Amino acid sequence: MSKRPLPSNQRGATRQTVKPTIKATKTSHSSISMSRYFRQHQDVLTESFVRLLSAPLSSFMTLMVIAIALSLPGGLYVMLKNVQSVTDQWEQQSIISLYLFAELEDTEALALSHKLSSRNDVVSVSYISKEEGLRNFEEVSGYEQILSSLPENPLPIVLQVTPKELVDLSTLFILEGLRTELEAFGGVEYAELDAQWLQRLASFLNFGQRFIYALSTLLVVAVLLIVGNTIRMAVESRREEVLVMKLIGATDAYIRRPFLYMGFWFGIVGGLFAAICILIVSFWVSGPATQLIALYHSDFELQSFDLYEIFLCLVISSVVGVLGSWIAVNRHITEIELQ
Amino acid sequence: MDIEFQRVGKKYESGQEALSQVSFHLQQGEMAFLTGHSGAGKSTLLKLMMMIERQSSGNIMVDGVDLQTLSKAAIPEHRRRVGVVFQNHQLLFDRSVFQNIALPLQVAGADHDQIGKRVRAALDKVGLLDKEKYNPMALSGGEQQRIGIARAVVNKPQLLLADEPTGNLDPKLSAEIMNLFQEFNRVGVTVLVASHDLTLIARMRHRVLTLSHGRMVNDGGFN
Repeated sequence: MSKRPLPSNQRGATRQTVKPTIKATKTSHSSISMSRYFRQHQDVLTESFVRLLSAPLSSFMTLMVIAIALSLPGGLYVMLKNVQSVTDQWEQQSIISLYLFAELEDTEALALSHKLSSRNDVVSVSYISKEEGLRNFEEVSGYEQILSSLPENPLPIVLQVTPKELVDLSTLFILEGLRTELEAFGGVEYAELDAQWLQRLASFLNFGQRFIYALSTLLVVAVLLIVGNTIRMAVESRREEVLVMKLIGATDAYIRRPFLYMGFWFGIVGGLFAAICILIVSFWVSGPATQLIALYHSDFELQSFDLYEIFLCLVISSVVGVLGSWIAVNRHITEIELQ
Repeated sequence: MDIEFQRVGKKYESGQEALSQVSFHLQQGEMAFLTGHSGAGKSTLLKLMMMIERQSSGNIMVDGVDLQTLSKAAIPEHRRRVGVVFQNHQLLFDRSVFQNIALPLQVAGADHDQIGKRVRAALDKVGLLDKEKYNPMALSGGEQQRIGIARAVVNKPQLLLADEPTGNLDPKLSAEIMNLFQEFNRVGVTVLVASHDLTLIARMRHRVLTLSHGRMVNDGGFN
């Protein structure tokens, strides 16, 4: 079907100037429609931002709700990160004590000690004989009399293995693996890693992480609903426009687009506000925190969001914004039907 | 655009039968009036042409293509080839005259400079070139209707539909509007105007399709 132009006397001139350019660029037609497509998106992007600014107070309030909802999990994340980094600096030598079976001969124990000290991941192995162990125990406990009344020395031979790896939160699992491995050696009854406080901290941090994940999920859902509701109201207030758009042949994608971009703006600006909140709060607490930590350890600097994390925050918040908008728009645009 | 209705019926879910066994053929470049009492089915017939509604029976052929075979996704493309003018003109009051008329072009993805030229050409055609920056609310009823017409024709549709376009206008303005339609028809656009202004229709000397209770009771020349 041939497209029939609607010429008027004046239009002839216009068409003549347009035609040659169309002919000339026919070969790069797809690149033209691509650039046109991008320009359309660019237009909608700007237009939806202007729309956001046209109702500054209500936009600002929505943005602040989003920002607060996002800065809560973000702030907890920063806190956790700092606890982790503090303990990372506290790496120290740990010891794995191997308690050998009581019936094991000295020669066998010595052989095991040699075998272990030749390992790559072990710095040294110190051999504590039954007698030495008893002496140490007497000194420490003060139960000399009771111990001397025993018919025989009840203590086992102990090998104290110093692993190469210094212990901190990130290497804890390596050392625990080593402990399990050493415990499996013949002659070893029981192996113990002396990093209890670190293990406790690790499980506490694990708990903290789970807690933050759960809270983050809830708050992200909250943001999804906030954006969804805001967009729903925006669609409702532009009902007339949506109807006219449908009437003149706009695709659903075209009608959806400004609302999706609006959701994007809510998301990304909300995320930016959240990042700013976190930066301000961490700057505010950094003084006292540094003082506090300095009591235990010399060089500590409170960490806040770094650039990558700000970027991640913005990506997540804008995706959530678009998603919330998508859900709302899809529901409501199909509801608005031509009569 | 060439339109052929073949024994078309439309029954709404409420059970109301808006159209039954309607057949007519509107040829490419033809102009016709659609008339009948209120509730006779004029609006339903126009809605079927715009694919706002789908028929319950029969076939609607547009340039040899059965509309029934078009998917939902093809509807926007179809509507871009049809310009529509309403009695209440459906203008958006949150933007200027220019922006209202530019809508169909934006929707179709026209270039910025193209939009400017075409909008002004359409405004010129309806004689309101000096009103492009106005808010349509500031214009008179007749001017608003002409803006509606400019929007309907700006994308060079192949079919121009009008639903009671002169309903709220005095006879002189009505005649002007009708003359505009006639001008578009003269350059090859197929035009169908639904109206119950019989005296005006009689003066225009075009084909008249008359509906009564959903049936085509008359298809013929003027009077």
